[in-house]
Amino acid sequence: MTLSTMLSAMGEGMLRSCAIFFLTILFSMPLGMVIMFLRRSRLKLVSGITKIYIAIMRGTPLMLQLLMWYFGPYYLFGMSIRGYRFPAIIIGFSMNYAAYFAEIYRGGMETIPQGQYEAAEVLGYSKTQTFFKIILPQVIKAILPSVTNEIITLVKDTSLAFTLAYNEMFSLAKQIAASQTSFTPFIIAGVFYFIANYAVAFAMERIEKALDYYK
Amino acid sequence: MKKKIALIMAMMMIPASLMGCGQSAAPTTAAEPAATETTAADAAVEDTAADSGAQYVFLDEDLGVESYAIGFRVGDEELAETVSGAVQALVLNGTYDEIGEKYPDIKDYLCLTADDIDASTLPEEGSGDPNFTFKHGFDLDYPPYSYRQDDASVGGFDVELCQAVCDYLGWGYEPVPFNWDAKDMELNAGSCDCIWSGFTKEGREDDYTWGITYSNNTQGILVPADSDIKTLADLSGKIVGVQTATSAYDMLEDSQKELADTFAELRVYETYTIAYNDLKAGAIDAIAIDMTAGSFLIADDNA
Repeated sequence: MTLSTMLSAMGEGMLRSCAIFFLTILFSMPLGMVIMFLRRSRLKLVSGITKIYIAIMRGTPLMLQLLMWYFGPYYLFGMSIRGYRFPAIIIGFSMNYAAYFAEIYRGGMETIPQGQYEAAEVLGYSKTQTFFKIILPQVIKAILPSVTNEIITLVKDTSLAFTLAYNEMFSLAKQIAASQTSFTPFIIAGVFYFIANYAVAFAMERIEKALDYYK
Repeated sequence: MKKKIALIMAMMMIPASLMGCGQSAAPTTAAEPAATETTAADAAVEDTAADSGAQYVFLDEDLGVESYAIGFRVGDEELAETVSGAVQALVLNGTYDEIGEKYPDIKDYLCLTADDIDASTLPEEGSGDPNFTFKHGFDLDYPPYSYRQDDASVGGFDVELCQAVCDYLGWGYEPVPFNWDAKDMELNAGSCDCIWSGFTKEGREDDYTWGITYSNNTQGILVPADSDIKTLADLSGKIVGVQTATSAYDMLEDSQKELADTFAELRVYETYTIAYNDLKAGAIDAIAIDMTAGSFLIADDNA
């Protein structure tokens, strides 16, 4: 196998990894926000259930969760899972990452002192206005470094999709390494992940700088 | 600063990857004859291999023989019978040997011959339901049975034979590469109709409805040619590598458990690629592997 064949095969795998990455970000970040609100709910039942959800998502391996999301419908309900492979991967990743994002958001929310809510109330801000105009901008700034961490982890975690035999980049690297008895595909995979994560870190740094309007 | 460091790292990685590539660029199909002609009964392998300058050889003694067959869901007798019949028909019309010729590491282990087949009971060519798509479940990490070929396409002996079966019967063919650890879930959930990927029958007789045994294989011990390990007894106190969930591993845990107990350590790897690199680097003393996959593994270094 020539280097260019290897690169083009793995480049194709990289596109599949990117598909997992972007779709997971797209679904998990807003979902994390919802979970955060449920977790902070004053109703004990709601916050209790959310706590259990977060505990399960963070406490079990993502690989196992992916298997459950894909094979669950068949084993629990006898449903046909034809064509369900990719959706199962996206659901699995999104549900898992949403739990982590929810906790990051919550950490950001906790940094806002109670006095700010009181001050906003005195100034006549409604609850929605208070959240979107005063709280959220500060929260975003506070959580950006943690979110960057999580996103970088996600880039590397996309390789877990091999569990469901989705041919993303690392699966391809393993297959090519097996057939060519060579380490080269792993080195290429390393370079690809590094470039992807460098791009992520670069973009996040830009965003951080753009939000640094008080300095 | 960050950019500079990134640039330096990238520059270090590029020559490293190019170097790795040069080593692996040799065509893998051009296997060392001495290594591929290794058969279960061949006692003179080590000498011939050593004469031709081979770097890695199999021990004369083997761990045991196994048969590769097609696994179907329990109860799928009719499908198993049709596919097995079609395989036999392909033996009679020469396709089976033709595909075998392309895979020198497998050729000598193919066990079906035209003499043993009763042609009257086989399905007719084109007799299958044209609307049926046969979903072939296999592992893409298992050369030379099913793997990514030099042009990065999916191939291997099992893939080609299964395609030929579908062509013969007039079925559609759908490849379903899966993760080997999840093979039973995939089969039971119906994502594939069979497991056909160098799949060992021994020890799993009751777990599947079995189709025809189309290949034999021998589990052996791979060592460096200059190693002082010459017999299975010499493995005592040595570190032996094996890939997880393979029949070599099962054998060492079961029928060859006594032998495995004499090892200093049985090191279990996720893939043979990593185990082989450890053997090259001298981190382990031997690898337990089947002869076909092993011949494939050492082909480049012995060439």
